[in-house]
Amino acid sequence: MNDVSSQRGVDSIPSKISRPKYIGEPVQRLEDPRLLTGAGRFTSDIRLERMVHLAFVRSDQAHAKISEIDFGDALEMPGVLAIYTAGDFTDIPDISAPSRMKNYHATHCPVLARDVVRYVGEPVAVVVATDRYLAEDAATSIVVEYEPLGASSNVDGALAAGAVQLHDDVPGNLVLERVFATGEAPEQIAAASHVVEGRFRLKRKSPLAMENRAYVVDYDRGRDALTLYGSTQIPGVVRDELSRLLGMPGNRIRVVAPDVGGGFGGKGSIYPEEILVVAIARRLARPVKYVSDRLEDLTSTSQGFDEVVKARLAFDDDGTFIALEAEVIGDIGAYSIYPWTAALEPVQVASFLPGPYRTPHYWGRVRAVCTPKPPTGPYRGVGRPMAVFALERLVDKAAAHLGMDRAEIRRRNLVRPEEFPHRIGSGIIWNRSGFMECLEAAVETIDYAGFKKRQEAARKEGRWIGQGIGTYAELTGIGSRIAVAPGMPINTGSETATVRIDATGAVVAMFATASHGQSLETTLAQIVAEELGVRPEDVQIMQGDTAVAVHGTGTYASRSAVIGGGAAIKSTRSLLTKVKRVAGRLFDVDPDRVETGDGEIFVPGTNHRIRFADLARAVYSDMATLPLDARETLESQESFDPYLGTTTSSTHIAEVEIDPETLAIRLTRFVVAEDCGKMINPQVVDGQVHGGVAQGVGVALLEELQYDETGQLLSASLADYLIPTSAEVPHIEVIHLETELPDNPGGFRGMGEGGTIGAPAAIANAVADALAHLDLDITELPITPSKLHRLIVDKRATKDME
Amino acid sequence: MKPAAFEFCRPSTLEEALAALQHDDAKILAGGQSLVPMMNFRLVRPERLVDINNLSDLCDIRDEGDAIRIGALVRHAQAAASTELCGAFPIVTEAMAHVAHVAIRNRGTIGGSLAHADPSAEWPLLITLLDGEIEIAGSDGTRIVGAEEFFFAPLVTAIEETEILVSIKLQKPTAGTGMAFTEVAQRAGDFAVVAAAATVHTKNGLITRARLALGGVGDFPLRMKDVEEKLEGMPPDAIDEAIRGCADVLEPNDDMHASSHYRRSLVPTLASRVLKQAAIRAAGVT
Repeated sequence: MNDVSSQRGVDSIPSKISRPKYIGEPVQRLEDPRLLTGAGRFTSDIRLERMVHLAFVRSDQAHAKISEIDFGDALEMPGVLAIYTAGDFTDIPDISAPSRMKNYHATHCPVLARDVVRYVGEPVAVVVATDRYLAEDAATSIVVEYEPLGASSNVDGALAAGAVQLHDDVPGNLVLERVFATGEAPEQIAAASHVVEGRFRLKRKSPLAMENRAYVVDYDRGRDALTLYGSTQIPGVVRDELSRLLGMPGNRIRVVAPDVGGGFGGKGSIYPEEILVVAIARRLARPVKYVSDRLEDLTSTSQGFDEVVKARLAFDDDGTFIALEAEVIGDIGAYSIYPWTAALEPVQVASFLPGPYRTPHYWGRVRAVCTPKPPTGPYRGVGRPMAVFALERLVDKAAAHLGMDRAEIRRRNLVRPEEFPHRIGSGIIWNRSGFMECLEAAVETIDYAGFKKRQEAARKEGRWIGQGIGTYAELTGIGSRIAVAPGMPINTGSETATVRIDATGAVVAMFATASHGQSLETTLAQIVAEELGVRPEDVQIMQGDTAVAVHGTGTYASRSAVIGGGAAIKSTRSLLTKVKRVAGRLFDVDPDRVETGDGEIFVPGTNHRIRFADLARAVYSDMATLPLDARETLESQESFDPYLGTTTSSTHIAEVEIDPETLAIRLTRFVVAEDCGKMINPQVVDGQVHGGVAQGVGVALLEELQYDETGQLLSASLADYLIPTSAEVPHIEVIHLETELPDNPGGFRGMGEGGTIGAPAAIANAVADALAHLDLDITELPITPSKLHRLIVDKRATKDME
Repeated sequence: MKPAAFEFCRPSTLEEALAALQHDDAKILAGGQSLVPMMNFRLVRPERLVDINNLSDLCDIRDEGDAIRIGALVRHAQAAASTELCGAFPIVTEAMAHVAHVAIRNRGTIGGSLAHADPSAEWPLLITLLDGEIEIAGSDGTRIVGAEEFFFAPLVTAIEETEILVSIKLQKPTAGTGMAFTEVAQRAGDFAVVAAAATVHTKNGLITRARLALGGVGDFPLRMKDVEEKLEGMPPDAIDEAIRGCADVLEPNDDMHASSHYRRSLVPTLASRVLKQAAIRAAGVT
């Protein structure tokens, strides 16, 4: 016997408190072999017999009446099967995202523009042809005549009195107005001895996944049943909404998200194209494929941010925060997206704005304004990148105002360990998380204390260096009590896991999540393996397929590890009980004495030892071994709903060097200290932090969807829409803290978005610090050398005037 | 983003290629790094594509004694790895690191870069700086166009629609010449916001000849001859004085990445950097 448990003897430490074997270990990603050898299967890889292809005619006007659509000779062109416009789909209801929120006006988005277009890129007509080239040839020969209707492409114009209305049923272009208030913020600010303020702006951004949106529909004419393969984060939501829109029961609609090449929120909503591929496949009784190209991705995939926050922070002589007041205006684009609504992003800005600090008085007003631009939707970090940027700039300004150290002012105001749970002014409740610990760990790692000296020495050499802190808290793994988007009538708060052992002894675990880069096939397998006593590579994770889950919404909002992982633990424990009961019968021992590990089932201190395959054979196949009543169903299904959420916290510190002559901004160092509870796989956590920070670098320094005053996109290719490359992303040092585990099944906290939340603020503060001797304020991101040049020139002009 | 239909031909001799260009709407395909994206956007829709990649005579870098001749089909990566070319013109090594990314450098050609004539691209700037002679073949034979007569406007050159850029000839510099290249770009590998390149020849501590060229500040790369003349016979210390005010005459474009004002502000900085670096290198090689 060389088994460790056996050597310990029956009465030594029970195995359930022994060190976890897989949870917390850097298990190699199970997805990697196929993805790294080009053997992944993405939607675009799917080719079906008799498959036809779509090309869309998209609006080249921002807001206009469609006066005529002239097909020309497009219908006679080679390979063309059909051309459809709005009138061909009067049976499909408009996409509309309802909400229980007061002062919310839903919009109605037809699958093809009907009479009116509301953004450049909106689908107006669709060509069906035998290949994409021919479909595009025909699409380019279709001429659409428009009568411009005006409408301002910016929020100031859209909110102005008498502004052209984009939707008849959205008065004043105001989709939502909401106020958060705790205490007496306006009065306190008026009476305070110290107030700092700013007007902060985060420009419009594209999620920009590497894989563009793609859909393939396989239609079974005989059963009137269909399978939609799509690059989506939310297959369950898509299935449920298709069922409603098309009037088909869910058991004849299967939505599969195969390998998906990134989402970042951009694949987390329902799209007109997604509904049309299904409707057309059904109408033509043929498989239909649509793969969007990069231009379509940049003009029609949901976009992120685009907000202005005017905020004021009042504090006393000691730097203790008293009150915060904010006006948040979100430019939500043309439609309120399904299912999240256009309230998602700007409301989250206002609700997270008080941040991880004790600020007794808060007043925040949100207005979501529609403009003739593509709809905004979820983007990694949702609301919090803007909130943290605005707040952390104010905190730095408060420190500068008092001549106080920037870390010290944070120490004085962060919620202290003994003060949890703490309710912030917007109503969010923070539970114990490492607010202070993350700050201290980051400050220590980056030698914050020594930086001032380095900075002074560098300035003497004519070098501009700066260091900036971004500290934040977020709610992750949000349960059904809160819901991911306020007032949204779908349940994003629970997950169900089904874990089974099949007749060969193999383990399958099924989820409604939809991993698109999060490594869930590895981390969920680690959890099931840990709990059941097998190896991660023995567990097949099935997800991203509505055929394996009755309900479930998918992967977004830093929820899958917490909620999916929690469901995995509950289900696997329930299955393990059955395994032990069966094994107890087989070994003729008390089931409590049965243990499992490395794919074996055994009784410590005895020679009872079988493999899972032996157990499965006894249950399913070898009918002579077990009596009828002992043949368990080796399958368990449990749901988990955290009800509330769990608090993840982090501090990012960036160091930059700015060339005083060219104003080129270089990130020289980046430290992240984060508390995500128990790590399932530190390598995966690092990867998520690195990717998130890289996107935060894009937010801070590069990425900007630029629209002109007529609503035309100027940065419509990757030559003009600039994302960070490896050359622009510094080495990122990550420090993991486990201050106190949350009270959920695995002790997990969500951490998929955090990198993007903290980085923009840290970088903005670092740039401002590097330029402190010039007294410049950084209020708009991305900040570029050309914009810095403008700021410096303006500052000089102002000084000269004085 | 699929190109419109086109006729494709791949001649194997220069004569066949020139004959294939005798067509109303033909385009030459070399590395395809600019043309193919433009075709995918349907910004250009040539009826005929003449693929010249089989013209093996255009693929070499040849040392002709006092000059180096670079075939039009030489790839950026090939140029950067050429000991003949980089030995005589170390600036090529320096500049090639700024040309996009490895995959593009492996496909893109020098002839293609010159014929495309992006005002911010590296090769047009180098050829302008180094007074390259561009050999262009047509049905009536070949003609030589000097760098200064080659670029007309953004994306417009002296090449006629029925002609093919065949090679570029660069006179080797005399001993005691230093060179330098630098650029400011949004990201590593992007087209330059502003690029600057210089050669400086010194003797006994004085500049005997200097050349300065700028990219990204006009319709095509510009030689800054005022500065060059001011530097003749001067010590390297005079560089900052010589370039003072040189940007005032420039009117760079405003675009979404950089304001005209910012571009102009970069000129003295980059000009100073490359001239000084070139002067140091010149002193090092004498």
